[in-house]
Amino acid sequence: MVLAFILPLLLILAIDISFSAGIQGFDTEIAFTRFANATLTAYTLCSLVLLGNLFFYGESRNRPLAPLVGMFCATILGIAATIFFIDQGPMLLEDNGSVRAQAIYNIVHMLVSAGAVLVAIGISLGVTFSAITSQKQRSNFTYEEE
Amino acid sequence: MNIRPFHIGMDEMYQALLLFWIPVSVMPLGLWIFLSSSDSKSKTFGKVLAFVGFTMVCLSPWTAPSSPSSAAGHLLGAIIGPIVLILIGLYLVSFSGNVPVGKLPRSDRRLGVLMILTGFIWLVGMHWWILTPQLAKDDVNPYWYVFWPTVLILTASLSSFSAIALLTIGVERRKESNSLFMLSGLSFLLLLLGLNVDGPLITAELFREHLWLAVADLAGLLVGSLLSILVFAIVIFVYERNLPPPLTIHAPSKEELQQVADVVSIHIGGEQE
Repeated sequence: MVLAFILPLLLILAIDISFSAGIQGFDTEIAFTRFANATLTAYTLCSLVLLGNLFFYGESRNRPLAPLVGMFCATILGIAATIFFIDQGPMLLEDNGSVRAQAIYNIVHMLVSAGAVLVAIGISLGVTFSAITSQKQRSNFTYEEE
Repeated sequence: MNIRPFHIGMDEMYQALLLFWIPVSVMPLGLWIFLSSSDSKSKTFGKVLAFVGFTMVCLSPWTAPSSPSSAAGHLLGAIIGPIVLILIGLYLVSFSGNVPVGKLPRSDRRLGVLMILTGFIWLVGMHWWILTPQLAKDDVNPYWYVFWPTVLILTASLSSFSAIALLTIGVERRKESNSLFMLSGLSFLLLLLGLNVDGPLITAELFREHLWLAVADLAGLLVGSLLSILVFAIVIFVYERNLPPPLTIHAPSKEELQQVADVVSIHIGGEQE
């Protein structure tokens, strides 16, 4: 099933490699910068969401402080790592002039990517569900004839 | 759709904060209030909040033109039509089929298919026709390059995954899995077309470049999210492990066991018929 998931990507790679000398239009440096920015931003934003989740998880347990502090530290670590690495220079700085501009760009970029992911999931799930419900009704039991 | 901003005498940073970032945060807040509230007043408040946030984000290219982030609001306004058409269409097709509850009339099926086709053609027209989201004349919204390849590659992958999952886990689901293979094939075909056929504003070369960036983005999104979930699990695990063990009570004495046996024996049996 994992192979089925990455199959379209592998096919495109295979076609690209077969018809041209290598992977056309693929710049390792730019792709790595994008990957690193996406990783840091996804980690930070996801940690923020989970921090909120933890707040409600604690409601049933007299809201303990320890896990909240732990998750808060993990989130701060993500923010600090993002700022630190962007501040290092061109490694994570894309077409933006400052750390703040790059950080804001990363967040908006992540929101757009996450929106695209949600749309793709919605379409795939919707088509799966409609394909299942459009078939004839099936019985859950096989009746034995007496 | 070209942008002609109107200017209000406000600092650019505050303008972006007030007219883009606060509405962006208000949208999930409104949704959360709507979903988690039990009384109708709060639900209405949540709905209104989410709607106001959504409208302000869509209007941000006009209200906060100095902020580059407002291009995301412009994209949202451009894609909301086809996406809503496709999703409502899928809903109509799904619930006009064999469902035990909430069944819609059979005629809704045709309407659903029509809506899906319209939404799909609209999206394809954004790449290969004049419908491309543009911030100014011939200036394509940069976030369209993020959105479109991501949707195509992930739809191809997810539907291929679902098709194999249906074949492996499901019983006699060949027809359904064929539909999913078709969706995967269609998305894949669009990807190949994008890589080889230029649109009026988007060249194949540019699409190719952004496809690989979309793959890098998806990989980063996956790794980052998994990392944060792992940290979350570790935090919970460490906290739960450090909790003192719950208080235990002594084992019942012989007298207590006898008393329980007496009570049980009274209730076992029943009247003879």
